[in-house]
Amino acid sequence: MKPSLFLTSLALACCSATFLGQGLDSAKLLQQPVDTWPTFHGDYSGRRHSPLSQVNSANVKSLSLAWVYRANQGSIKSTPLEVNGVLYFTVSDHVWAVDARTGRELWHYAWKSAGGIHIGNRGVGIYGNWLFFETPDNHLVSLDIRTGKERWNKEIADLKLEYFSTMSPVVIRNHVLIGVSGDSMDVPGFLESRDPETGDVQWRWYTTPRPGQPGSETWPNPDAMAHGGGMTWMPGTYDPELNLLYWTTGNPNPVMAGQGREGDNLWTCSIVALNPDTGKLAWYFQASPHDTHDWDAVQVPVLIDGEFQGKPRKLLAQASRNGYFFVLDRTNGTNLLSVPYIDINWSKGLDAKGSPIRDPKKDPSTPGTLVSPSAHGGTNWQTPAFNPKTGLFYLHAEKSYSVFFLTDTDPKPEGYGGRDDKVWAAEFIEAIDYQTGKVRWTHDIGPGSAFMSILSTAGNLVFSGDNSGNVLALDPISGRTLWHANLGGVMNNGPITYELDGRQYLVFAADDSLFGFTLPAN
Amino acid sequence: MLRILQKHIGLSVLLSSVLFAAQPSPAQSARPTPPKRTSANLPPAPDQAAADRGHALFGQTCGFCHGKEANGGDGGPDLIRSLLVNHDEHGELIAPVVLNGRSDKGMPKFDLTPQQISDISTFLHARNRYVRYRQLYQVKEDIVTGDVTAGQNYFNTTGGCASCHSPTADLAHIANKYDPEALLVRFLYPTRRPSAAGKVTTVDIKVDIKLPSGQSFSGPLKHLDEFTVSMYDSSGDYHIWPRESVSLQIHDPLAAHLELLPKYSDEDIHNLLAYLVTLK
Repeated sequence: MKPSLFLTSLALACCSATFLGQGLDSAKLLQQPVDTWPTFHGDYSGRRHSPLSQVNSANVKSLSLAWVYRANQGSIKSTPLEVNGVLYFTVSDHVWAVDARTGRELWHYAWKSAGGIHIGNRGVGIYGNWLFFETPDNHLVSLDIRTGKERWNKEIADLKLEYFSTMSPVVIRNHVLIGVSGDSMDVPGFLESRDPETGDVQWRWYTTPRPGQPGSETWPNPDAMAHGGGMTWMPGTYDPELNLLYWTTGNPNPVMAGQGREGDNLWTCSIVALNPDTGKLAWYFQASPHDTHDWDAVQVPVLIDGEFQGKPRKLLAQASRNGYFFVLDRTNGTNLLSVPYIDINWSKGLDAKGSPIRDPKKDPSTPGTLVSPSAHGGTNWQTPAFNPKTGLFYLHAEKSYSVFFLTDTDPKPEGYGGRDDKVWAAEFIEAIDYQTGKVRWTHDIGPGSAFMSILSTAGNLVFSGDNSGNVLALDPISGRTLWHANLGGVMNNGPITYELDGRQYLVFAADDSLFGFTLPAN
Repeated sequence: MLRILQKHIGLSVLLSSVLFAAQPSPAQSARPTPPKRTSANLPPAPDQAAADRGHALFGQTCGFCHGKEANGGDGGPDLIRSLLVNHDEHGELIAPVVLNGRSDKGMPKFDLTPQQISDISTFLHARNRYVRYRQLYQVKEDIVTGDVTAGQNYFNTTGGCASCHSPTADLAHIANKYDPEALLVRFLYPTRRPSAAGKVTTVDIKVDIKLPSGQSFSGPLKHLDEFTVSMYDSSGDYHIWPRESVSLQIHDPLAAHLELLPKYSDEDIHNLLAYLVTLK
């Protein structure tokens, strides 16, 4: 980022937001997270790397419990936001505001649900004093962060068509960016920008083209395209200098039966760059052309400013669910690296654009096809982290095998059209060298089905969890455990850190509770 | 870390399999379903007789345009994905369309009785329900497509299965205990997976522990992570030690299954299944 541009946007943001009191100063969104964790990833880069180093590899063994907050509403899958000393987090249909120093509740909001799939909620977005979150029955709800009182709610998708909503809204200037989920009824995915004051739609971008548009040639007919899926499950990232929004899209529909949608099925299973003011597509890269294994490509598009083959570049890296680690030039989408980060058995190599070529022999079949990885993927929605100092990309990964069955052999199948039986899996935290894709270390975390995300800090620490209920602090270079604490439940969210009153806090979720840790007071 | 654990156990790849089998939990005792799309309780099953009547009538009356299975046909849209059908509860939205037609879209009206419309509506909702809830997707007997002799050969030679298993001993009548799908998934990696009869079988991992004092223990592993190891001794007493304070050896009866996973071709697994389903 050029300093001049950065400072200009910073100055503008500061001037417009200094009067907010408890609200979020939007300038915080353009800085590395220190006293604030203002958005899902901590900042727009998706790196989940904190510059804080009060807690570091030398003293992490002294880390002590500061507080516990028991939400008691099922597993917490959201990354909390921390703004002016208050944490805001969710589970499906619920939002809490909790004191970030003591864990004491300020308010709790409960949405009256009309139904929908309640698999979890990733968290909230904040604009000034206004908080935004999505519900399983597809409403965007806005609350006043001071009181937890509802300002308005807007229906964003049709529950009867089996849409449901889980993602954490991303706020960029006066755009609230929201996505949708739902793979069961062959509906189209989309990303929307909404007005933070009124909730009105500013623009909508469909993840599949309309007839005649570029990309429509990758579908056999308008019907397949209009029912082609591509859900926008996860929050994206943003480069303020390029003014490009990076979003990731889900698998095509029908999910496992591809016979009715011959072609690459753009822009499903893709990383796309959009203009956040207009929703106009700048470029795309497809992680899985014509996916048939439920390997959505919604994993975080992490923005890295660093060297690549000796030259400083603006990069984007993704460890994708299909088992590939991708590095792109984020100015134009050019692929620089595509390397598997786990053992896979479904790819015949790479095409000219760097996208993997799927082996049709490994498609789901009536008698069953043994595929690695399973539909769960090499990783899933859990978020990775990147440490600029080590140059390593950290993620919670999985090696696995599944038998994929095709259950709908109709020329025009519907819904999932198949399913997979997982036969075996092993889980671990993994560190990948972003310049080569080489796996530097793996740290076994035992078997299980949790979704632990990663936090990296300048204190030479990588925080995550294992499947035995331990929160872990690892050495970023070796992957060796430096500290652990058993919290009596598994981590299904993203750890965060912030500094208040000169003390660095770390916040982890274990099942239905949040745990705040800090070093003992002197 | 892997290297560190390797030092203790000797078989890096084993650790995951050991842990996988060693920790019973709800997530592992049932067939794993990707958590992100699990639905809450399914709505009640439709009246099958009415759905069958509706299916037949739909095929005769509507199938020409909408397809016999209602997934779209010559000129008529897919009704499983239809907004109207998805918003209909009991035929209240479907009935006016059937009775009045949609002249603007070229759909004639049909003079059907309320009972007939109700049956068609039940059929459409049953189809919709099946598509919507993948827990209902059936993997049928037709998954058995392999060659029995080739499967038997694989069992006795390449696969090395015969070194632990026998078709006349532990695997006798195995095909009566499990349906083909369960059998396939179980021979690939037999975790705590319910059989057709609903019984859960377990595979015990045995661990040998040696303390610095020279004292040793042997018995079923209870838990192993990077910090602790716990087990039951021959008297049934529970023991736990810090992971680093003991040397341990794991005896995982499933290790051979894990080693085969990267080696199988799909033909191998289909042939092996074809052979195993003959063990009635």
